[in-house]
Amino acid sequence: MIRRNPLILGHKTYETITKDICGLVERMPGPSFFAGLAGAQFLLFIFLFAQGMIVWYGMGMMGVNHPVGWGTDIITFVFWIGIGHAGTLISAILFLFRQKWRTSIARSAEAMTVFAVMTAGLFPILHTGRPWLGYWLLPYPNQRGPLWVNFRSPLVWDVFAVSTYATVSAVFWYIGMVPDLATIRDRAQNKWRKRIYGALSLGWRGTARNWNHYETVYMLLCGLSTPLVLSVHSIVSFDFAVATLPGWHTTIFPPYFVAGAIFSGFAMVITLMAIIRELVPVFKDYITLDHMEAMNKIIMTTGLMVGYAYGSEFFIAWYSGVEYEKFIFLNRAFGPYGWSYWIMVTCNVVIPQLFWFRYFRRNIPWMFVISIFVNIGMWFERFVITVTSLHRDFLPSNWGMWIPTFYDFAALFGSFGLFFTLFLIYIRLLPAISIAEVKPVLGVGRDGGKHGHH
Amino acid sequence: MDITEQTPPTPKYWMSLEQWRQDPDFKKFAESEFRTSPMQEGDSEDGWARREFLKLMGASLALTSFGCVRRPAQKIIPYAKQPAHLVHGIADHYASSYVDGLEGFGVLITTRDGRPIKVEGNPDHPGHEGGMSARAHAHILRLYDPDRNTSAKRNLQNDKRTNRETIGIAWEKLDEEVSAQLKKGKVAVLTNTLMSPSTRKLVNEFTTGFSAKHYVYDDIGFESIIEGQQRAYGQASLPRLRVDRARYILSVNCDFLGTWLTPTTFQRQFAKGRKASAEMNKLVVVEPLMTLTGSNADERHRIRPSQTLDVLMALLHELLVVKKHSSYASNSGVLQAIAPFSKSKTDLAIPVAEIAQSLWNNRGQSLVLAGGLSAGTENSAAIQMALNLLNSVLENEGKTIEAGGAAVLGSAQAGAAGFNELLNALNKKEVTTLIIHGCNPMYSAPRTAKFVEALGNLEVIIYTGDRNDETGRLADYVATDHHSMENWGDLEAFGGVLSIQQPTIRPLHDTRAFQDGLLNWLRAAEKGSARVKNSATWYDYLRSNWQEEFYPANRGGKSFEEFWTDLLQKGVVQVSRSGGASRSLATASLSGVKSSARNSGFELALYSTVGLGDGQLANVSWLQEFPDPVSKICWDNYASFSLKDAKQLNLKEGQFVKLMVGESSLEVPAHIQPGQADGVIGLAVGYGREGAGEIAKGVGVNAFALSQWKGGERITAGLETKVTVLARNNTFACTQDHHSMEGRQIVVEETLKDHLKNPGGQVHRHKMTTMWAEHKYTGNKWGMVIDLNTCNGCGACVIACQSENNIPAVGKKYVISGREMHWIRVDRYYTGDPENPGVVNQPLPCMHCDNAPCETVCPVAATVHSDEGTNDMIYNRCVGTRYCANNCPYKVRRFNWFNYTQLKAPLNLALNPEVTQRFRGVMEKCTFCIHRIRDKKSNAKLLDQALKDGDVKTACQQSCPTQAITFGDVNNANSAVAKAYQQPQSYILLEELNTKPAVRYQVKVRNTAELKGGSPHHGDSHQKEGQHV
Repeated sequence: MIRRNPLILGHKTYETITKDICGLVERMPGPSFFAGLAGAQFLLFIFLFAQGMIVWYGMGMMGVNHPVGWGTDIITFVFWIGIGHAGTLISAILFLFRQKWRTSIARSAEAMTVFAVMTAGLFPILHTGRPWLGYWLLPYPNQRGPLWVNFRSPLVWDVFAVSTYATVSAVFWYIGMVPDLATIRDRAQNKWRKRIYGALSLGWRGTARNWNHYETVYMLLCGLSTPLVLSVHSIVSFDFAVATLPGWHTTIFPPYFVAGAIFSGFAMVITLMAIIRELVPVFKDYITLDHMEAMNKIIMTTGLMVGYAYGSEFFIAWYSGVEYEKFIFLNRAFGPYGWSYWIMVTCNVVIPQLFWFRYFRRNIPWMFVISIFVNIGMWFERFVITVTSLHRDFLPSNWGMWIPTFYDFAALFGSFGLFFTLFLIYIRLLPAISIAEVKPVLGVGRDGGKHGHH
Repeated sequence: MDITEQTPPTPKYWMSLEQWRQDPDFKKFAESEFRTSPMQEGDSEDGWARREFLKLMGASLALTSFGCVRRPAQKIIPYAKQPAHLVHGIADHYASSYVDGLEGFGVLITTRDGRPIKVEGNPDHPGHEGGMSARAHAHILRLYDPDRNTSAKRNLQNDKRTNRETIGIAWEKLDEEVSAQLKKGKVAVLTNTLMSPSTRKLVNEFTTGFSAKHYVYDDIGFESIIEGQQRAYGQASLPRLRVDRARYILSVNCDFLGTWLTPTTFQRQFAKGRKASAEMNKLVVVEPLMTLTGSNADERHRIRPSQTLDVLMALLHELLVVKKHSSYASNSGVLQAIAPFSKSKTDLAIPVAEIAQSLWNNRGQSLVLAGGLSAGTENSAAIQMALNLLNSVLENEGKTIEAGGAAVLGSAQAGAAGFNELLNALNKKEVTTLIIHGCNPMYSAPRTAKFVEALGNLEVIIYTGDRNDETGRLADYVATDHHSMENWGDLEAFGGVLSIQQPTIRPLHDTRAFQDGLLNWLRAAEKGSARVKNSATWYDYLRSNWQEEFYPANRGGKSFEEFWTDLLQKGVVQVSRSGGASRSLATASLSGVKSSARNSGFELALYSTVGLGDGQLANVSWLQEFPDPVSKICWDNYASFSLKDAKQLNLKEGQFVKLMVGESSLEVPAHIQPGQADGVIGLAVGYGREGAGEIAKGVGVNAFALSQWKGGERITAGLETKVTVLARNNTFACTQDHHSMEGRQIVVEETLKDHLKNPGGQVHRHKMTTMWAEHKYTGNKWGMVIDLNTCNGCGACVIACQSENNIPAVGKKYVISGREMHWIRVDRYYTGDPENPGVVNQPLPCMHCDNAPCETVCPVAATVHSDEGTNDMIYNRCVGTRYCANNCPYKVRRFNWFNYTQLKAPLNLALNPEVTQRFRGVMEKCTFCIHRIRDKKSNAKLLDQALKDGDVKTACQQSCPTQAITFGDVNNANSAVAKAYQQPQSYILLEELNTKPAVRYQVKVRNTAELKGGSPHHGDSHQKEGQHV
């Protein structure tokens, strides 16, 4: 038998694991952390300013127009929702498949999911003309007739999909954290710390009964989340696929969107993990090159799927014989927004091909750069779908261009401010690696612990 | 106090111990009338206690109401409805009139609770027959223009008239000062062509009274036509054209459907001959610029402006010399005049012989037109003379051109002199006081006329405009005139057709009618007829003029009161007139006609636009945002170049060029216009207004600055121009960025031949099937058919809709970013060779689809289908996801990107209360004028009658000068729209999407052998497959 590389390096013991992980929560953060947080908050401030202006003066502050009714807000919404998918995939699906390498990255990937969905969730509300009435999209008994939502509208399905997703991933993330929170509580030197983590750990005592319940719930939540990985982005894709618009009205969209979401999600995990490894060197033992390589393989695979979808769209457009379809795809690649299409293809299909080579899969600077490209490419994928389909549809008299304004850039980059602010705060307040899950993969007390005896 | 000491007897019954005790304080209390007094302690001391205050208030109220005696009643009577009492919330329609340049409209003004909110055409008017132009709709905003003067103004001029300070002046003071000035004599009156017979009479009285001279000047003049008529027929009047009677129309550099003389009337007449049948007319256009007329041509050729005369002469040469047609062929004088043009035929890239033959074949049923700003070359009068001869040769005189009385210039005005005479008089210092009314010469007169310099010889200028515009700011007094909706008046749109103009609102500001001013000044000088002395106001004068002038011949057994009431109700009366007889041409008029010198360089042709015209309404946002029917650009004028010239100059769209004509120069952005003649630059007038107001400020440049003054004439075309390309760029606010149909089936064209054989044969139809149950419409089902054959793309529907539905204008910046709000737009596509393309237009309102893609995707059900087939928008439910707009294949939905509801007062008074104003963040679109449907339905219900076909008219339909829009109940098999639905030439836009629109189109028919765009490519592949799935 081929010996597998150990999942955790550095000959850790239970004690050092607890110390390594809890230490991050217990130490006062250094200046570099605050510098990073200040940077994120600066972006967040821009985001708040821009959205405040837009809500106050109107959607006209952004570049959206007639005929391009959806712009940065919807593109960025789909982008962030897509990012979220990796977390759930890692924590739920890989758990069900007993992929033990997931343990070191699951917590942060899930945190990423929750924060990405939180960020994403703002956009559908903020992109409406009257965001203060956003609650009208929820079906609830009311005194207006009662007047219900239009259940035929994909946007209503979206509301269900995204809110379900947000709830389930938040609960899943939190439940998974309970034993670790109890560990921090137990180690707390300070009264308030003890109280807060005590409240958060829901009275966890580490009894066999506790563990029994915990694992059952965790398993059930995994089961619940798994279909969500597939359903959420399928439903998001319906926003487009159900429309009449050529370039949107496509049956390939659900699987294509899911593959793209996983693709972009893993790229974001790589980005975040590469940063964490640098910021917290001790985590290099937990998030090893093997982890990174595994994720890079997934990126390459899903990248190929996405590439297949791009090709398939063109084929179907030609094969359908519909003149509008044919035109819209040619226009995507060779029209005025052709550059965005080629950015998308380069970033999503060409560049990830480097991962065929082991060198690139295991080289942190390279994979960091590639993951950034994938993120860019995936944002542009949504840009291509949204903008290039809208800007030239059936009647040429309607054709127009979409030109972003300052507020478009502020909404896009500002959303990273929101995401990173949340993520940075999370790293220093909550256990960034699951202590309870990492310890079992150490192999302590198992045969595998002693090397060479198989 | 000791009780026993009381002298008066103690009362038997007592209320309190105090009374029993007979306390003096109580006695005082009991003696007062009221038991409690509102007077507070100390109240009486300051004299302003509450009661005193109330007393004073009451007294002052009584005083004010006593002092403010109402003016003598001047009754105006609503059209159609005669309410016993005004009912709030019910609109009244008053018949009135409106003059735009030379075009007179009979209008119905919709008023609500005493404020006009919309102008509609009076269907009884024999000219435009209820059709409206964009400007006629939009002039209501001039009434509510916040930049109007609110009182008379005294401008504090220095010697050079450069000071821009102005103060208000009381009317009494103004009259005093003006009267003193008038006493000095040397008075002149400068007006536009006065189309009001009563005003003409009054001006005549004024000029007689003060031995003043009356000069006439129009911003967009037509002196050459008058001159041509004068010399050819001895009549200083305009002919009345009967485009409807012509089967073959040749327009030589004449935009008669867009901007020339009375375009709305011509559009109506043209559409009458445009019904697709063997009798359908043919329009051949020979022009330098791509105009609205050119875009409707069956055949179009390009010339330079300086070749206008050559075309006419070449045709004459062909007819008279080559073919020896008509009796004129033996007239040596005529032949002599034509002789120098024997080569013209070969110089022109036009099938002269062919056109001449067609004209001759249709003699008596043809019409040749020429003239306008773009034909205003140095030989513009010669053009008119050649034209008159050509029409006489073709025996059109008395048939398609009517003489005698077909004039706007009555005898009263015939004695008036032109602008050139005024200039001479000014330079000779024969005038010291000048009254300017109805024109804006400082804006439109050529700089080389040195008019401003000539004004230096004047002591006082009195201007009656409504603002301190180009002319106003040079005047000493601005005797601010009423808006026409605030004033009485009358109008002779053309010979024998008189209409009344009644005010529909009390003057909003402290303004005064121009005519009242004249009356006051006449009376102050104790001059004028008995009528002047007996008329307290202009209304009295007008009424008495009608009583004496028009009533006797048209009494029809009615008393004057009845006649007057009738007139006010109907708005229009046809007085007897002679006419229709053919006039004999004085052939001598043609002698001395010379061809103009050839320009090798660029020739400038000024033109006016359908939207702004002469620029009088430049401060109306609707018109500034009105996309030009041809270029689709708004909020700018531009130098237009042909494709070839642009390529040669290496010009990009929007790049600035410097145009130099003689000494004058302008820097304007360039626009590359398909269909424009090479070597020609087009530039629109009406822009670059100064002092017109906030909206007009900085929009475009004044093209009149390049016009030249030569030999007492304004030259507006054929001007040799030097072009320098500059490095700067401008972005145009263009509402349509793409101009080709991309081979899709959007506007279907057929040649007349194909159409007669198989109407609608060019339409590729799709057999649609559905899995779902269709909507059931048991009551009404509203539908619309738009006949693309009669639609000429004038865009009046766009402004009609804007006025009806409170649609905001968004400004240049936001049109550029694609946020214009028009609910109905007119799409324009070019077909064929871009050098000289064909043009098709397609008005596009909401399609009101049965399977509306917008309805299914709205998450909050804010856009829903009604049981009458309309797609309704519920504004207050809309949260603004814009998904509906994305999913609309026709992209007719408009989003409120900002809050457009805050209008600068008093613009808000123009809002239609029947239509909700939409708040920021809400989607909106065409409603099929649902409020009109509801109104008519509830009326029918109240009367217990069924709704008749034609009862409900949408605003666009009502306004359409060509009646291209049919609207009604499709479920009523006898309705016009149901019949039109069934006609073979009807088709559905984007039928293959199965949206089942309620709006259908009818194919455009071209009276040519071949279509410029060829046959549509769409569907070629399906036809091979046999059936579309």
